[in-house]
Amino acid sequence: MMNFNSFPAAPGMLLVSVVALNFSIGTTAYGQSAQAPASDPTNAGKAVFSKANCVGCHKWHGNGGGGYGGDALSLRKTELTRDQIIEIVGCGRPGTGMPFFMRGAYDEVKCHGMNRQDAGAQMPPEGGTFLRPKDIEAVADYVIAHIKGAGEPTYAECVTFFSSTSRVCDVYKTQAQKPDDAPASTGKGQ
Amino acid sequence: MERFSGHTTISTRARLLAVAVAAAGMTATLPASAADAVNQERLLNVEKEPGNWLHHHQNYSAHRFSTLKEINRDNVKNLKVAWTLHLGGIEGGGIWSHGGLEGTPIAENGFLYVTDGWGSVYKIDAHGGRGVLVWKMDPKTDRDWAGAVACCGVDNRGVALWGDLVISHTLDGRLLAINKETGQVAWQRTVADPDKGETITGAPLIVKNMAITGVAGAEYGIRGWLAATDLTTQKEVWRTYTIPGKGEPGSETWKDSNNAAASGGGSTWVTGTYDPATDTIIWGIGNPGPDWDSAYRPGDNLYTDSSLALDATTGKIKWYYQHTPNDPYDYDSVAENVLVDVPGPSGPQKLALEADRNGFAYAIDRTTGKFVWGLPFVKKVTWTKGLDPETGKPIEYDPNKAVQTYIASVTPSRTNMETDICPGNMGGKNWPPTAYNPDLKLWYIPVIESCNRIKVEVMTPDKLKPREFWTGGGPSQPFRITGSVTAIDVTTGKIAQKMETPFPNLGGMLATPDLVFTGQPSGEVMALDAKSLQKLWEFNTGGGVNAPPMTFTVDGKQYVAILVGLGGAWDKWFIDSTPELKKIQPGSMLYVFAL
Ligand code: HEC
Repeated sequence: MMNFNSFPAAPGMLLVSVVALNFSIGTTAYGQSAQAPASDPTNAGKAVFSKANCVGCHKWHGNGGGGYGGDALSLRKTELTRDQIIEIVGCGRPGTGMPFFMRGAYDEVKCHGMNRQDAGAQMPPEGGTFLRPKDIEAVADYVIAHIKGAGEPTYAECVTFFSSTSRVCDVYKTQAQKPDDAPASTGKGQ
Repeated sequence: MERFSGHTTISTRARLLAVAVAAAGMTATLPASAADAVNQERLLNVEKEPGNWLHHHQNYSAHRFSTLKEINRDNVKNLKVAWTLHLGGIEGGGIWSHGGLEGTPIAENGFLYVTDGWGSVYKIDAHGGRGVLVWKMDPKTDRDWAGAVACCGVDNRGVALWGDLVISHTLDGRLLAINKETGQVAWQRTVADPDKGETITGAPLIVKNMAITGVAGAEYGIRGWLAATDLTTQKEVWRTYTIPGKGEPGSETWKDSNNAAASGGGSTWVTGTYDPATDTIIWGIGNPGPDWDSAYRPGDNLYTDSSLALDATTGKIKWYYQHTPNDPYDYDSVAENVLVDVPGPSGPQKLALEADRNGFAYAIDRTTGKFVWGLPFVKKVTWTKGLDPETGKPIEYDPNKAVQTYIASVTPSRTNMETDICPGNMGGKNWPPTAYNPDLKLWYIPVIESCNRIKVEVMTPDKLKPREFWTGGGPSQPFRITGSVTAIDVTTGKIAQKMETPFPNLGGMLATPDLVFTGQPSGEVMALDAKSLQKLWEFNTGGGVNAPPMTFTVDGKQYVAILVGLGGAWDKWFIDSTPELKKIQPGSMLYVFAL
């Protein structure tokens, strides 16, 4: 179940920081709107995560969950690589509710070797906003650095994500104080 | 100059006074005149002031019927936009990309009180054939906090009036009392807790100096309740849980060892009704949780999916009638119970009518809680063969079974993990309100003609987390969904008429002596003949109608008002069944029509 054990966060993060540096210049536009400290190279990706409404299905913590929208998979438990995430964000996942976010996907650009006609009823929905390739890379880097492999969401993560006066994070504070919840919140470090 | 229009009131004397005060350069606001103060007497006798619309559901019985007939069958074709007003509140928050409008305006003495999805209240002066904003009260709803646990949209269905106060709710769990003249918050009180997954979307019901609040959150593992707040002391008078505590009557209908009752759902997010003759509040109770893994919560799961009658003074439960025991479909019974009196074989029958998500319309004897009649009001029902004519229970219901299977090949279960159900889980009718014409004895239901697909997820106690979905699966939309307006003759319990529509009815109904008004999420507002349901007038608002129409007068002239702005559950979760609606843009606008 807890497959994130096999994906320790640290090495992934290292890798990503290096990659992220390569295009940090191109993404400063998003940096403006992001509230998080400027020192985190994945801020741009975090801004995309909100702007493209990944949060609408996967929630701020990426854990997704059932509900009225069916199952948006947990990105915390994902086993996908950076490249695979880039592909699925660009092309969506045919036959599921995961939308595509690349302009021209299944039209000018074939996805999984398919255009719209080939995809037919399997055609994934279109994202609420289109993302430039650099945005897609940025959001993939953000997922890898901050979401993939993480255990249960924590208070610290939540306040970093929102950096607002909302009470949205309070629930994690109370949870963290409850001793019987300790195993869940230490999951990441196991 | 215009700003003083907000202080004009019904009487000429008051108006002169307003002018005098303004002329004197006083900035202090006027006290509400006696004629404006809303009291129990006025709430009980709304038929004496037909130009006003004082209750969320028009009267305590939820008839949504107006006797105004300046606009009628003969001239409705000349109905035109009188004025419009753009509102706000379409911002996103939590899991929502934008808000929508589901509210019913309240009208009093030429002023309208409306809300947007985030709970801002707008007072609008409708005198002189145009709408002027008098004030806007923004409650500064904590959007991320509440929006993350609002299953079905950034919604607020409206306000109520009491004394010189406007009473409203916010999605993040507050009850607010607002000074009617100034728009200042007089006081507020936290009633629901989003940390537990509780939110508030319904309008308050005012009964005898109390505001009754219902809660949403059955998709997030809440234990539902109704709460009464004293509007003088600002204290809670009673809070009645819709799921009995350990050892209380009804607790035996939760037979599991998971303590499922503690997170068993039973929301109350649609405003209920009140029968003054017996001092009884009748309120619809929502689905059990987890929605689709019914084996997690064996037993009938009282009082989920029930109509519940409570003593208004104490909150004590008087009777209940359960529609779908051990519900595996998300067929909640949260809808309003419409109180009607019709002649019966042995004297007048006092009925409570409810159009249930499960596709059946029910008449219950509201004195005893006993079943009187029931019938399917949707075109397609696949989960049961029908209702037992004596008890009204689904024919397949077996009281000895802990987990009901109904028609097992259709019913979501741990052995039928993916299945198609009709009606779909949005139900045959959702929150959009019905209307009742007491002259014609016709009851108009805004219908979603639907099927959808349910996937079951087996739940275990460790999956229950605060503020996370607790649904035990989820729906998808492989089928096109349409709608209808279905009229039921309450004297016979039979369908009198059905007018089919290309899209589901997500707005609700208004009845007048010879017309009914309704809308479509594709933008049309329409007037139908009250008997034939033939369309007599239509106007396309260019937005999505997701709220009920109402009617009122100003200086003797009749107007019809409706909020337009598609949001709510459909837009996010069910849109694939109505692909054309993807084109509808978020919006937030009040339309007012007149001859
Ligand atoms: C409309 C809802 C929705 C939105 C918006 C959405 N997703 Fe998804 N996503 C899904 C669903 C549903 C799945 C699961 C698909 C499946 O069943 O395989 C998914 C799957 C994924 C996966 C694959 C996970 C795995 O392990 O296979 C990734 C990665 C992903 N989403 C990332 C994103 C990102 C990044 C965004 C924002 C740019 C985003 N999603 C926006 C619904 C959504």
